[in-house]
Formats: sequence, C-alpha cells, structure tokens
Amino acid sequence: MNSENEIESRIDEILKAEKQNTIPRMTKKDYIIAAVITVVSLLGIIGGFFL
Amino acid sequence: MSHKHDVNKEIENEVYCGTLPVLPKERKYGFMDALLVLSGYCIATWSYTQGSYLATLVGFKQLLIGAFLAAIFMLMVYQLPVILSVRYGIDIWIWLRSVFGPKGNKIVTIIIILVNFPWYAVCCELFADSMENLLGLFGIQLFNGAHLVLSLSCVVVGTIIALRGVGTITWTTRILVPLLLLVGVAVVVVGFTSVPMDVIWNYQPELAGDADKTVNYVLTIEANFAFVITLVGGMAEVPRLCKSEKSGYYAGVLGQGAAGSFFVVVGAVMAIAMQYVTGQMVDDPTLMMATLSAPILGLSSLLLVAFANIGTQAVGSYIYGVMLKSTFKKISYKTLVLVLGVYVALLCVWGKITEYFGSFLTIGACVYAPLAALLFVDFFLIRKQKLDLKSAYELPGHNAYQYSKGFNIVGIICLALGFGFTLVIYDPIQGIVHNKILFMLTPTLASFIFTGVLYLLLSKIPGIRRYIRRDTYASPDKRPFDRAKVPPRQNLFFLPLMWLLCKMTVSPYKLKIDKHNMEGIKPPFLVYGSHNSFMDFYVTPLALKPYRANYISELEGFENFGEWIYRQAGCLGTRKFINDQSLIRNIARVIKRGDIMVIYPEARYANVGTNSHLTPSIAKLAKMLKVPVVTLNMQGNYLQQPIWNLKERKGARLHADLKCVVTADEVGKLSVDEILERISKELTYDEYKYQLENKIVIDDEWRAEGLHFPLYKCRKCGKDFAMTSYGNKICCKHCGDTYEMDELGQLHSLTGEVIHIPDWYEWQRGFVHEEIREGRYKLDIPVRVEALPNSVNFVDCGVGRLIQDNEGFSLEFDNYRSEKHETLKFPAKSMVSLHTEYDYRGKFGPCVTLSTYDDTFFIYPTEESRDVFNPTKIQFATEYLGGLYS
Repeated sequence: MNSENEIESRIDEILKAEKQNTIPRMTKKDYIIAAVITVVSLLGIIGGFFL
Repeated sequence: MSHKHDVNKEIENEVYCGTLPVLPKERKYGFMDALLVLSGYCIATWSYTQGSYLATLVGFKQLLIGAFLAAIFMLMVYQLPVILSVRYGIDIWIWLRSVFGPKGNKIVTIIIILVNFPWYAVCCELFADSMENLLGLFGIQLFNGAHLVLSLSCVVVGTIIALRGVGTITWTTRILVPLLLLVGVAVVVVGFTSVPMDVIWNYQPELAGDADKTVNYVLTIEANFAFVITLVGGMAEVPRLCKSEKSGYYAGVLGQGAAGSFFVVVGAVMAIAMQYVTGQMVDDPTLMMATLSAPILGLSSLLLVAFANIGTQAVGSYIYGVMLKSTFKKISYKTLVLVLGVYVALLCVWGKITEYFGSFLTIGACVYAPLAALLFVDFFLIRKQKLDLKSAYELPGHNAYQYSKGFNIVGIICLALGFGFTLVIYDPIQGIVHNKILFMLTPTLASFIFTGVLYLLLSKIPGIRRYIRRDTYASPDKRPFDRAKVPPRQNLFFLPLMWLLCKMTVSPYKLKIDKHNMEGIKPPFLVYGSHNSFMDFYVTPLALKPYRANYISELEGFENFGEWIYRQAGCLGTRKFINDQSLIRNIARVIKRGDIMVIYPEARYANVGTNSHLTPSIAKLAKMLKVPVVTLNMQGNYLQQPIWNLKERKGARLHADLKCVVTADEVGKLSVDEILERISKELTYDEYKYQLENKIVIDDEWRAEGLHFPLYKCRKCGKDFAMTSYGNKICCKHCGDTYEMDELGQLHSLTGEVIHIPDWYEWQRGFVHEEIREGRYKLDIPVRVEALPNSVNFVDCGVGRLIQDNEGFSLEFDNYRSEKHETLKFPAKSMVSLHTEYDYRGKFGPCVTLSTYDDTFFIYPTEESRDVFNPTKIQFATEYLGGLYS
C-alpha cells in the first residue's frame, strides 16, 4: 500500500514536471539534426555497396 | 545467513527503486555521464568477436561503414523512444506493459533474456580460449575437456560475484571498464604497429567460391544492426536517470554507435593483423598480443581479459537477474541468477556459440527488431508521446493496459509476425537467403519496417484502436472535428463492396423495395428517410442503387467505424440538434455536383417504432436546393433491432417504399407547409402496426427485455421509472402490474387487456407535458460526462451535474479545454429533440447527448442518479420545451 502511494505521488510529480517542462524536451531543431544524421548514415550505407 | 538476507534486501531495494519513476531532482546523468556509463556497458570482449566476424565477410572500408554508419543509422531510429524513458523517468520494461500487457510483458522478458544471454556464453568461451592459447604458448598441454571446464569456471565465478549483490557488482564495474579500455588501447597499439597500415586499409577477405560480395556486405550491415539492437536490453535502465531528453538520446546513440563500434573495429584490426602474420584469423586479444608483441604482454593481458570476461558475466547476471526480479517478484533473486547461470552453462556445454555467432545475432535481432518497431510506432504514432503511468504501474483502478487478462493480443501478434517475417527473408541458422530483394534491406530493417507498418495499420481499425488505446483518457486527441471539410463523393471502388455488404446483411430479412413515382428521377435529388435502427444504413444504398449518395452521420459513427471508412461511404459528419451552417454548405455542394443527399430528418432512432414530428426546416432546405424530394419509408428495421435491445430478431421482415413526393417543378411552386405535409405523410410509420398487419412473428424469448427504457411509467400505479423487463414480460417493481409481449408485438395484461406499445409511450408523454405546464418539471442530478470532440476519441469530463427545467439544460462538468469546472447552458428553444441511448456501447448504461459546435457531451447517470435517469422522459421534456409538440 505504501509503495502504491509512493508510486502515485511520484507519478503526479512527474506529470507536473512534464507540464512545466522541467526535463528539457527534444526540440524541433534536435529532431531535424537527428533526421539529417540518419539520412547521411543511410547514404553512407548505400555508398558501401559500390566499394 | 545474515549476508544472504542483506543481499536479498539490497536486491529488493534495487528492484523497488529500480522500477519507481525517477523524479527530475533525482536525475544524475548529464550527456557525458550517460555516455560513459553506456559506453562502459557496450565495451566488452564480445566486441572483438563481432569485429573478427565482420572481417571474415568484407574488406576494411566496408567494415568501417558497417561498424559506424549502420550502427548509428539504426541507433538514431530505435533510440528515439528513449525520450519517453527520460520524460517519465521509467525504463522500457514498464512502458512495454502498454504494448504487451503486464502478463504479455513477462513472456517478452523471458524471450529477450533467452536471445540475449548467449552474449555471456561468448564471454565464457573467450575466457576459455584465452587460457588455452596462452598456456599453449608456454608449452602447457591441457587435457581433453579442459576448454569446457575453463568456460564453466567463468560461469561459476561470474555467478558467485552476481550473487554477492550490488556492492560487489559496483566494484566489479569500476574495475572492469578501465581494464577493458586498457586492453583495447593495447590491442590498437599492437595491431597498428605490427603490420603495415595499408595491409589493414586494403584488406579484403578470402571468400569461398560461391560467396556473393553483396550478400556479405548486407550481412555486415545486418550484423551491426543486430549488434546494437540486441544490446538495448541491458541499456534500458540508464536513460531514465538523464537530466534531458537530448542527453539520454544522444548518449545512447554515441555510447553504442561510437564507443561500442570503435571496439568492434579494434577487434577487426586485431583479426586482420593476426591473419597477416600467422595466416589465421582469431578473436582473442590475448593470443594476438602474445603473438604480435611479447609473451609477457600476452600474460599481462590474460589477467586483464580473464577478469574482464568474468566481470562481464557477473554484471550481465546481475542486470538480468534484477530485471527478472522486477517482473517475477515472487521468485528470489538468488534463484533467478542461478537459473541464468545454468542457461549460460548449457550453452557452454553445447560449445558452438562462437561458431553460430552470426546466427544468434540475427535471431536476437529477429525479436528485437519488431520490439523496437512496436516501441517506435507506439510512442510516436499511436500514443503520441503520452503514457498512462498509473496503468503502467498497475495501480488500483487504473486498468488501461490489462487488455485481455493481462495480454495485449495485438502487440503480441505483431511481435510474432515480425519475427516470422525475418525468417521468411533469411534463415539465420543455415545462412540461406529466401528473398533477395527484401534481404537487401537487411532482415532486421525489413522486420522493423514490416512490424511498424503492420502495427500502425492495425491501430487505424477502429475496434483495434479502441483496444490498444484504452488509455486515451490520459492523452486524448482534443482537436475539434472539421465540420467544414468538403465531403468526398462516395468511392466508386468502394460502392460495389458496400452494396454486397448491404445485400448480405439484409438477406436474412427478405427485404422488398417498392419504388413509386421514381420514373425519370435522376440525381441530384434529396432523400428523406425514416430512422429506426442501424439497418437503415444497409437498406438505403440498396434502395438508391445504381446511384451513389452522400449521408449525414452523427460524429459518433465516425469514431466508432473510423473516419476513413465513413468518408469512403460518403458520410458528412455533424452533431445533433445544433445549427450547423457548415453542414448546409456541404449539402449544397453535394447537390451541386449532381449527387444524392440522404438525410434522416428525425435525427434519432424511433424509440417504439413510431415517427417523430418533423420540422419545417426540411421543407425549407428542399426549396433552397431546388431539387426533387424523395422519401424512403423503411419498415421492419425497428422490429429487427429496436434501440432498447440491440439483439437482432431473426423473425423480422423488411420492406421499404421509395417515393418521389415533390418533383423539381413542384419544389419551387409549393409552399413550405405543403412540402412538409407531403414529406410528413410519407414518413409516418408504426412498426408494431406493420408487424401485426403482416403477421410478422418474432418469437425470441427475450423479446421484451429492455422495453422498460421507453416504457418507464407504470400504467397502473403511475410511478415513474418503476418498470423493469425480463424475457417476454414487462412489469412494475412497485405494484407488480405485469404485461406479456406476444409474438406479434402486442402487450397483454394479466386481466386480458391488449396494449399497443406506441399508445403506452405517448400516454407517458402527456404526463411530462402536464408537469411542465404546471411548473413541476425539474431534473437536477449528478451525472458522468464524456466529450466527443472529433472522430478519434472521447475525453473524460468527470462527474458533473445535469439540470433540466423550463429554461433548458444546464450542464456542469470538467471542461477539458479550459481545464476548469464549468457550466454550459443549452436554451430550451435551441433544440427540438435530444439524442438518447439506452445502453450506449455497454459503457455506463443509458445516456443523452448535448452538443456544441466542437463537442458532443455524452451524459450518463452516476450510481446515485441511476434510478431517476431516464432518457425517454428527458427527451419528452426537451421536445415539448423545444416546441416540437406544443
């Protein structure tokens, strides 16, 4: 029962932190950079077929 | 004993704390911290095995591409869901409960361990190899079976360390990672200094005659995909300790993609150098250093590698022991670690894990690839980056992830099909490529894409979507439905399928359609249909065949069957009893483009098989559109499935009359009243009269069950909400007055009185009108409220209050848009009727709905108000107050 209360109070705190953006989110820019790295890696892999 | 107790307590604490959501203030890791921890996990002696395996397949340049770019590509994609772990401070094993259900998750945990743990057998094999080789270098011959004894000794010592608990493991890790780095540095230095650089750079493997270079390159990419993807199990607990999403994500990508891959390349360099010098390719750094430098260096490295392998085995047993403990809480940690030790020992006894390294990698990836795809799609596309944490932790009253007795059948099926899909492409045991085109994608990537797409498509099917998204209340889609969106024409390819479905549905009920005055009537025209049950939507397309049509549908149908299907069927979405100008514009568009517009003007199913009064607005609409008006009066649809009990009555017989009541010429000449009169005349119906006249026998024993919803007032004692029903009877709970429903739909009292059901229904209406006229009518009850903003999901609006009096409705509820407890007013004159349900989708029982432009509020009784909440009485009052019956 205590552990359930502990989990519940932690979840409430986490959800509050989510709303307040306490843990910095991945930004649109971060996602774009990730996409670029992914595409470059893919092109590199494709290039490997021609070696 | 006390020590054992301490270890168990430590582990209990570790498991408990290890599963709790980590609060922002408790986060320890920035990017560099997480990178170091994850790099430490990825660096192990098996990296050398991976490197030497790759060197048998491709040249050094392709090997570099595979080791770095393939690893980074896969990591960039499959590490993305790590963001959720960081955001909520949980590891993926908690999250996976939403994908597989808590019990399904246990099975997945076991499977993951089965496919992951052979890594540790590789460590034990490497340990035995190192010992044998070095002793051989010193001229010491070992007895037969010594290799097995050595590998088992690694298992035993590693298991003993794991059994000693957290403290010992912490120290082991602190020593292990620097040792491995030290060995790595030594290997790099020795490897690059003992052979010319261009030997390594220009290295090409000696391939067997039938080997295909392209296939080998794909196998290299596959091995790297598999290598990084199968390590996720052990790394899953780190991201939740990170301070930002970006640091957790990139630490995961670079920990494996840079540090882990670097050691794979080191292993390859070592193997290439050894082959150049000795003609033999090895994956043992000890032997390499002893051969390529000095035996003393080999001896030193032996101690390092030996400890490293034992340490890795110990850390692995610990990590997976804790993981198992958090899933199987009743089994002791000690037992779980011993089981893991036995499993690794059996693999060592088998003795072929190194030989089948590539196979086991791919088999592991066969499981991990669909798993990663499910996480990716689930996080970004299905749950839209939201999770119901309380359900994930199975807190009391939060059961969204219980699915089918703890198993999410959809997730499990997708995982199984994803696994099978990989085997269809490639047989990892025999090394046979079954499908070369898909193989070019690599089995792991192909399985990832297949599983992701499958899961996404399944989630688009409304029934499945509702099954897997039982947590919508935690993260609902709140965007309002786009009522102004131009409705597409009914899909021509979809139309024959629709007719076939309609034909099949109506065939047991022998539908007969009669057409009157329809000669020369071609689209565009307006159809007004009677509205009795869902069967109306099957009869109407058949009556209008061969033309296609557009239909007005309440948004609830879009949510129930899916927007895409409803659009293909030509439906225009709206909300009931609001002044929807967008709808009028869309109706005009449909007519303008030459199609048929079907409207069910009563806007609600008949409660007892009789028509509602129609309003002049439908005649005004006809005059505005200037097209012929056709009526479709459908009979038997109510008898087949009355709204108060949706079980189908097989005895029902269907009949429909399609009739042009106003021609294009007449529509401009006739007055609104004249048009309304013609429409009303043709849409007058009485289903029980139709049943009696046509002697339609409905002999289902349960035929009266639910009839007390529309017939709520006792005819004898006059008490409201006193009626109940069972079998073929309806009776009063208060005075006991009982009626039996015969097979022709008539009610018989015990005294022999015969009652026509619609008469009883209308008799009740009179009392409500009287209450209102005398100022006695007032409803004021607690209610449960859900909003339907769009075609995607309902939004929980908590418990509120519904008041109905002469002014209209007043609804108090938690407004999810403003996030305040608010009151909405619905003036009496703004609505001529009300949508009612008697057991809406089996959710919370009877309900009524009230609509604004952007929300339909489904209002249910609470336990407190269940006995006084009757949709029929509320509807009677609404219709009177709205002017429909005044």
